[in-house]
Amino acid sequence: MTLDSSHPLDARLNWSHGGGNMIELIDITKKYKQTEAVKNFSMYIGRGEIVGLLGPNGAGKSTVISILSSLIEPTSGDVKFLNESIIKNPQPLRKIIGIVPQEIALYEDLSAEENMKFFGRIYHLKGAVLQKKIDEVLQQIGLMDRKKDLVKTFSGGMKRRLNIGVAMLHDPEILVMDEPTVGIDPQSRNYILQTVKRLNEERGMTVLYTSHYMEEVEYLCDRIYIMDQGNLIASGSKEEIKQILASENTILLKADYWNDEFLEKLQGIPQVQQMQVDEKEVTLVVSKEINIFSEVAHLADETNIQLRSVHIKQVTLEDVFLHLTGRALRD
Amino acid sequence: MILNMIKKQALLLFRNPMELLLLLGLPVILITILGNALGSLMDGGELDLTFKIAVVKHEAEAEQVERFKAGLEESGLPSSAINELLVTVENLQPVETFLEVLQSEELKDMIMLETVEPNRLDEIKNDESFAVIVEFPESFSYDFLSSMLLDEEPTPKALIHYKRGSEIAGNVVEQILTMYQEEFTVGAFLGKNGIDPEQLHQASTHFKQDVSSISPYHPVTAKAYYTIGMVVMNVLFLAATMANYAFQERNIHIFDRMILANISRWTYFVSVLLSGLLFALLQSLFVFAFAYFFFGVKWPDFAAFFVITVFFALAVGGISVLLTAISFKNGNEQITGFFSGIVVTIFAFLGGSFFPVGEGSFLQKLGNFTPNGAAMSAYLSIMRGEAITANLDHLVFIACFAFGAILIGAITFPKRGASS
Ligand SMILES: Nc1ncnc2c1ncn2[C@@H]1O[C@H](COP(=O)(O)OP(=O)(O)OP(=O)(O)O)[C@@H](O)[C@H]1O
Ligand SMILES: [Mg+2]
Repeated sequence: MTLDSSHPLDARLNWSHGGGNMIELIDITKKYKQTEAVKNFSMYIGRGEIVGLLGPNGAGKSTVISILSSLIEPTSGDVKFLNESIIKNPQPLRKIIGIVPQEIALYEDLSAEENMKFFGRIYHLKGAVLQKKIDEVLQQIGLMDRKKDLVKTFSGGMKRRLNIGVAMLHDPEILVMDEPTVGIDPQSRNYILQTVKRLNEERGMTVLYTSHYMEEVEYLCDRIYIMDQGNLIASGSKEEIKQILASENTILLKADYWNDEFLEKLQGIPQVQQMQVDEKEVTLVVSKEINIFSEVAHLADETNIQLRSVHIKQVTLEDVFLHLTGRALRD
Repeated sequence: MILNMIKKQALLLFRNPMELLLLLGLPVILITILGNALGSLMDGGELDLTFKIAVVKHEAEAEQVERFKAGLEESGLPSSAINELLVTVENLQPVETFLEVLQSEELKDMIMLETVEPNRLDEIKNDESFAVIVEFPESFSYDFLSSMLLDEEPTPKALIHYKRGSEIAGNVVEQILTMYQEEFTVGAFLGKNGIDPEQLHQASTHFKQDVSSISPYHPVTAKAYYTIGMVVMNVLFLAATMANYAFQERNIHIFDRMILANISRWTYFVSVLLSGLLFALLQSLFVFAFAYFFFGVKWPDFAAFFVITVFFALAVGGISVLLTAISFKNGNEQITGFFSGIVVTIFAFLGGSFFPVGEGSFLQKLGNFTPNGAAMSAYLSIMRGEAITANLDHLVFIACFAFGAILIGAITFPKRGASS
């Protein structure tokens, strides 16, 4: 991965003063017979922003996207596009939104170009205008030389790229991408991330980017929403979210084995707020103000644990998620 | 827009050789097989396959009949009954009649019959030139008469040997045997009940008329019959194919892409209907054209033929949207599987695709309430030389069926989202 997480945030356009919010979700709830997929979820997307939506499997990300894009109606709550509700009148939103579904929504038995022709035509593009647009998008997604090949002969990464390309034919102002990088090789993944970034920087394209890869979201996004089990558990800019952990340290302990006595006593330290135990690692979230090292060393001595290392980790979004839910984002 | 969708559908079909083979090749293969194997029974001379049959009689039939008559005189039955039976027996000579059937006008081009003495049996069993050997055991006719007329055991059995590779010939002979046995039963029954035994002959011709020349108009050949039967059956599968494609589009969210492009779901619905109609029409025309060139299946009235084809294609379009709507609604494809796995078979059976159901029989009346059965009846009628106006009832039924399917489809089709 060549993700440069220290990339300056100059890509962040004037979303805060560029004419208000494009899209707003207000107190959305979606109930299915068995599950409540989304609970009281609110978010907004400003023009020119790249917003991240982060959450583990089943968090409700795809459901949020379907509601936001007018494909399904929320059980309660409202979705507004330029301050007008889309629930009764979705047409204006649909004209300017491009959706990249989580699934490969393409005809496998048609070539890349034939797919693009078909999907371009359903947006009433035709003739030379359509052809020009197709060539332009094929160039962007790097599939120009494969345009005549059937989609079923494509690699997973190429299909993903075409899946994105098809959503861009009608020049959407906002691109909503549902886990566009799952199951593909690092090169394709980088290509996609860079394409998204370029579209945002060069054309001011607004993007909602869904993922359960923290590092992608950290690289791309200005603002982030974190979901878990249908709930919004944190939102804000990267810095703001990491601030959640400002008063805490994440400490990583390593040893060849643990015993119950050690773990119990560790948990018993009042400043330990979260603890996650793996075979040879324990991750602790502790309050910053105390120096916990001596205490941990003492405990280890007492219970015959041979610590291999103790160190303080850089705060990542992963830690924020662990902090907020007590679980890891991915298994 | 709809044109764009239909064009896409056509491309998808052409990219799928397996699908094409099933839709176009299968009916052609079935027509060939059925038209040949069963055709011999329906129109005789149609089958170019000729074979030699040897018949071995272990006891002369005349002697057995005399023996039976003598037995009757001494049976102690009332003399009026005896007299009646004696008259019946005159016409009931099973082996003789069987041989007559084999040498009849309908079969004589196909069958070369040779009567062989029992002492040569082993010799001809090794003679490759005989496809079938029919052996009538001793006392066959006597037992036959006893069981037929006096309900006595045992029912006699003729032995049919056929050579490896001559299964079709063997099958034909077996079927003839069964067929004429049934006629005998009817004839004997009529005879027993004091009806003119002459009926027997009529019963036998009637049986054949049922199959090959349904009316005083042109007879319908086996190939023509099965061309029609297989077309109306196989075109039904096209509806399932269309519904499968549509469900696939829903499942991988291509349908969502269309909705997001502000394509009305009714545009989509109509595109499925029209694709179903158009491809059903093309499929029918293809198979009929094939039958025209290779089996000589010609239509006396092309316009009438075309009208029926369009009506039936509309019904198939209707089934396509109905299946699509239900599978969208349910979020699974069970309905389509049920249709192509079970409903088509039942419809095809009732509609007469596999074998002719008797004219005016209950089954045929029932069959006319399936779209394929109604279409088949109309096609057969046209083929015999009747006018399209004689088939208005069938056309009206097909049209009602089509609109019913479209209507129920429209009501069922989800009005929002992809599924719920
Ligand atoms: N049509 C539906 N009917 C019933 N339950 C549903 C339906 N769609 C989603 N759910 C449920 O809602 C919850 C959220 O699903 P959703 O697909 O939005 O999660 P996600 O965050 O996109 O997960 P993933 O990362 O796996 O894509 C899950 O428990 C899911 O089973
Ligand atoms: Mg999802």
